[in-house]
Amino acid sequence: MSNVLNWQLGREMEYPYEAAYPDQQFAFIFNINRCIGCQTCTMACKSTWTFSKGQEYMWWNNVETKPYGGYPHHWDVKTLDLLEQANPGGQNWGGKVQDLKAPYGKFNGKTVFEAAKTFIGPEGANRALGYLPTDDEWSAPNRYEDHPVGNEKGVKGQYFKGGELLPEHKTWFFYLARICNHCSYPACLAACPRNAIYKRPEDGIVLVDQERCRGYRKCMEACPYKKTYYRGTTRTTEKCIGCYPRVEGKDQASHGLPMQTRCMSSCIGHIRLQGLVELNKDGTWKEARNNPLYYLIHVAKVALPLYPQFGTEPNGYYIPPRWVSRPYLHQMFGPGVDAAIEKYSAPDRELLAVLQLFGKDQRICHRYEIKEGPKVFETEVRGKKFVMYNDTVIGYAKDGTKIIETTVEEPLHIRPDKHANSI
Amino acid sequence: MQLRYDEDFIEAAAFLCASGRRKGVPSLQIARFQREREKLYSILDPDERNTAFFKLHLDWFREWGLEKLITDLLKEFPLLPEKLSVLAVRKTRGKNDEGAELYVNETNQRSAILALRPESFERDAALRDYVRHEFTHLSDMLDPAFGYAPTLDLPGLNGAQQRLARERYRLLWDITIDGRLAADGYTPMAARAQHAAAFSRGYSFWPEEKQAETFDILWQTRSPRHAELLALIADPRGLREAHRPAPGASCPLCDFPTFTWADTEALLPGITTRIVADFAAWTPEQGLCGRCLETYEAATALQMTMP
Repeated sequence: MSNVLNWQLGREMEYPYEAAYPDQQFAFIFNINRCIGCQTCTMACKSTWTFSKGQEYMWWNNVETKPYGGYPHHWDVKTLDLLEQANPGGQNWGGKVQDLKAPYGKFNGKTVFEAAKTFIGPEGANRALGYLPTDDEWSAPNRYEDHPVGNEKGVKGQYFKGGELLPEHKTWFFYLARICNHCSYPACLAACPRNAIYKRPEDGIVLVDQERCRGYRKCMEACPYKKTYYRGTTRTTEKCIGCYPRVEGKDQASHGLPMQTRCMSSCIGHIRLQGLVELNKDGTWKEARNNPLYYLIHVAKVALPLYPQFGTEPNGYYIPPRWVSRPYLHQMFGPGVDAAIEKYSAPDRELLAVLQLFGKDQRICHRYEIKEGPKVFETEVRGKKFVMYNDTVIGYAKDGTKIIETTVEEPLHIRPDKHANSI
Repeated sequence: MQLRYDEDFIEAAAFLCASGRRKGVPSLQIARFQREREKLYSILDPDERNTAFFKLHLDWFREWGLEKLITDLLKEFPLLPEKLSVLAVRKTRGKNDEGAELYVNETNQRSAILALRPESFERDAALRDYVRHEFTHLSDMLDPAFGYAPTLDLPGLNGAQQRLARERYRLLWDITIDGRLAADGYTPMAARAQHAAAFSRGYSFWPEEKQAETFDILWQTRSPRHAELLALIADPRGLREAHRPAPGASCPLCDFPTFTWADTEALLPGITTRIVADFAAWTPEQGLCGRCLETYEAATALQMTMP
């Protein structure tokens, strides 16, 4: 085991390999507040990559209803439970918040790598704590769809009084869209006995070498997000490839510019923003104030990693749903939840403008600029002043090409009377 | 009888042993299994490779004593090897899909499928209990003395009643199976008290003494008969005999409550014949509603006008 810096945990942690970071890292943000669970992303991925024989139960992208749903069933609860068994009562956060190296404070508990040493499962000690889901757990990708949780027993024909009141609904559910997090310290990679899994040095996308894989399924057991899948027809494991031909700019439609993945660009709710971020030598993010991902994660701090306590440093971030029970969200996204929701509920001028970049163009936005516009609206959100300006946000691709120009207020089109049915 | 395996099933079962989920598998054997398995990836032809994997997994399925579990159980049921041409064991994904089914082809050859989750091999005792229960089902179906028929011959029942009857049949058959297994010293899938409670729920309209008496007969019988079970499921309340035209009572044919009873004394013989063809247990004294009469009048008239 070596010691590596996991900035999401605010400390060093043990990992089976020496730290090695790519030049840039594939990362993404999902705004859960906007997700309507339409599964367009799921089908975009399915119809692009996993439509063949042997891939029937392979959903590289899935959208599950939380808290009850999950693919495989109860994946997160099971891993959280294993960690709790390995470190009873010790999975908590504390410490000081520091900008890049400890933005959420310090995690005092054990990661899946650290807990593996003390937890001996049916197959003995592993490199990462985990479990192998059964076929039954993989059998239905959307079980418990739209099942809410309530804090009291329901009465037939009656809505729960006050259930809809903010800041936290008493009856709630939300959609959690998931793909492989292309972690900085992948547990799948750590667990592979054949060294068949690797992280691409150019963009940090995690891939399975199909020539080397021998179907041991250790990656499936170790990945705490359960995002690797066994294919019976080839007897190898397959996983999300981050649509790397698109990210490389090899898709014809991209004209050579890095492009977002299929699931990101097909999202009809514009909940997704994917990009590439540059890293420092210690794996922390290089300051890039006008990269939308850097801004949302490190400056505004509205986007948080999914289950950071697992310790894999996932590169998928989520703007947490503002109506959901806070203890649940603390468990899922760590201690940054309250500040993130506070900020998102009454966004400042810059945040509101940057949020308009989601889903506006298929190409990856590396930098944004804001041109100030007039004040158009003012109100109070739960005692906090909210002012809206009709600013224009402009997004640029890596080579400086302007790819997005949009305003905070949706443009109004007046239909000419000459053509009644045309815009 | 041929014993055949679905390749997914034996692969998953062998993997279960190799991943340490089945107790008592030596680690040296696991290492050898993995080495042998790795070599097969170098076979380029997909069909050849599949065949090689199947053979390897089958060899280890046998080596690790998984096949013996099934063959030992088969010895307890001599009718199965005698009457079946094939017993195929296949993999299921969920517990609810597990079970045994009998198939008969056009040439009257019988084969059966036993569907199991590979994880069943984690606990031999539970697996034995379950498979023994399922094999008893198969054995009953193959036993001429039991007199099994694939469809329940219950004329005169509508769809909902047929479904209810099938549920009752399943309940009674399971009671007789677990009663026999318990008497032979095996662990039944459900204890006597659980079966008694289920029986009591299914036949709650009977007096308690009758429930207890019938349950005891079913639990203790060594040689149940399909016909005896049928007699208990078709009309346990004796409602058929109780059918009499009364305002608001249910029509015995369509089961809808009616206030417009037909005059059965004026029924044409052709109509009566036609009704009895569909509802063998029906008698004119039970009556029928005006709408059913219309339907049968129309059907009979149509039959008479057909060339």
